[in-house]
Amino acid sequence: MIDNFLDSWDLFQFMYLSGWLLAFLLSLSGVLVVARDQIFIGVAVSQSSTLGIALGLRLITWLRLSSVAGFHPDAFLSFMAVVFAVLAALLTARGQTIGHESHEALTGWVFLCAASVAILLVAHSPHGLEEVQRLLSSSLIGATVIDVGLFGGLSAITILVVVSCRRQVLLFALDPSMMTAVGMRGALWTLGAAAWLGLLVGVSMRVSGLLYTFGNLVLPALIAKNLCRDVTTVFWLTPCFAVGVSAVGFVLANHFDFPPAQMTVALLSLTLATTWARGRWHDRVVSEVPQA
Amino acid sequence: MNDPEVVVQTDGLTLAYGSKTVLAHLNLSIRSGEFWFCLGPNGVGKTTLMQSMLGNVEPRQGQLWLHPQLVSRSRLGFVPQRCDLNPALPTTVREFVLLGDVGLRLSRRERRDRLAWALDSVGLGHAVQQSYWALSGGQRQRALVARALIRQPHLLLLDEPTNNLDLPTSDALLQLLVDLNQRDGLTLLFIAHDVAMAARYATHALLLHDGRGVAGRVDEILTPNHLSRVYGVHMTIDRNLSGAVTVQVAAREDAS
Repeated sequence: MIDNFLDSWDLFQFMYLSGWLLAFLLSLSGVLVVARDQIFIGVAVSQSSTLGIALGLRLITWLRLSSVAGFHPDAFLSFMAVVFAVLAALLTARGQTIGHESHEALTGWVFLCAASVAILLVAHSPHGLEEVQRLLSSSLIGATVIDVGLFGGLSAITILVVVSCRRQVLLFALDPSMMTAVGMRGALWTLGAAAWLGLLVGVSMRVSGLLYTFGNLVLPALIAKNLCRDVTTVFWLTPCFAVGVSAVGFVLANHFDFPPAQMTVALLSLTLATTWARGRWHDRVVSEVPQA
Repeated sequence: MNDPEVVVQTDGLTLAYGSKTVLAHLNLSIRSGEFWFCLGPNGVGKTTLMQSMLGNVEPRQGQLWLHPQLVSRSRLGFVPQRCDLNPALPTTVREFVLLGDVGLRLSRRERRDRLAWALDSVGLGHAVQQSYWALSGGQRQRALVARALIRQPHLLLLDEPTNNLDLPTSDALLQLLVDLNQRDGLTLLFIAHDVAMAARYATHALLLHDGRGVAGRVDEILTPNHLSRVYGVHMTIDRNLSGAVTVQVAAREDAS
């Protein structure tokens, strides 16, 4: 099985490397999403990124951008994906309300609006519809060396921020209401984190699609949360889980000829279910221990 | 500020949200080692005043002067009414309390020593590796105090920390704060609704009512005159030899 995987390296190396770097990058940032109970925001931001790509596809057709000299459709679509993801993240992450609606209602609206309008925009374009459906179902095939470089650079920046500001990041994750009391600019951190999340989701969506992006954003952190005693450990264990499970997922997908993104997310989901079962078993054992 | 003992001073401080003035022309001087209680009905600006000291609300008029070490937040501790921690997250008492030292440049050893001191001060030294979620309500409030103490504050701000505690637990927490005040000279500003608690533990009191405040020594402020003006009922405070305090509230004349 491993030999088969290694044999496929030359052909799929950029896909594998992009997938692992994305798993690392998204899962590490996803700890904040899970810690702040913003899982629904994660999927709304991902879906908004799809809307950006769908709109980008329509703009290419409407404005005949393909005929413009020097125009790069991939770069343009990636730009649209990032812009829409960042806008959605900024709109949903601040906790504000519009009128009498709750913050959850606003997030729900972003998700539903993005999901429906994205399909409507490309409904009469067979190529566009196929592209949006590919994004929704996820496919890593097509990643390039540029993607590997981009995700590697973003991973390095994320590590740098988390390591150099680890105590601030921890407070932001655990108890943001205390930030101003210790001299941190809470609003700035919230906006910065939302913009960073939007950027990561945007660049990831274009290459890996919604399933892989959202799956790696929340599932590894949820798994680690169920296994750790403190959030500091969750921060280090989460990317290890994400990269480890995606490595196993890619090997299995290659061996059994399954799509790697779906295989990875299925394995992560299975692992999460296992940690839940372990937690229930542990609680039952603890409750049955006679009290002294 | 010429007086080195002054920790916080307000001169004609006015605080407002938009066009709504919450607190007007407040004059207050908190000196090192004093234990202040801030009292008053709901919505009179107690929490707003505390938020302005934390830098979250800018003065509309007047001045709010903080000791330089409080301006940088390095020696300012804050205990909120409740903690916004996500209950689904695992966290130990150690990790929780260490969140309090964010922004301070401490060596590993200093951090360890401060953690041990803060936890010992609140009687949670044994629980350092325990899950925060395994603590009782009273112990969690103590952990909140420890998180603020780890900054070794000059001034500790407490926003109704006894709100959800039963009587013995809130009494134990107050006794702990009195110990910190008397043993370590910690200056405290405590927001509360309980007049008896203030009469028993405070050295000074700030009574807020109708956007105005009166401040001074507790025996000068918690008088029937001031209290009846603030709460609209006649109140008397009796203190026996053991220090126990009884607050008697006369029935409203218009009560049926």
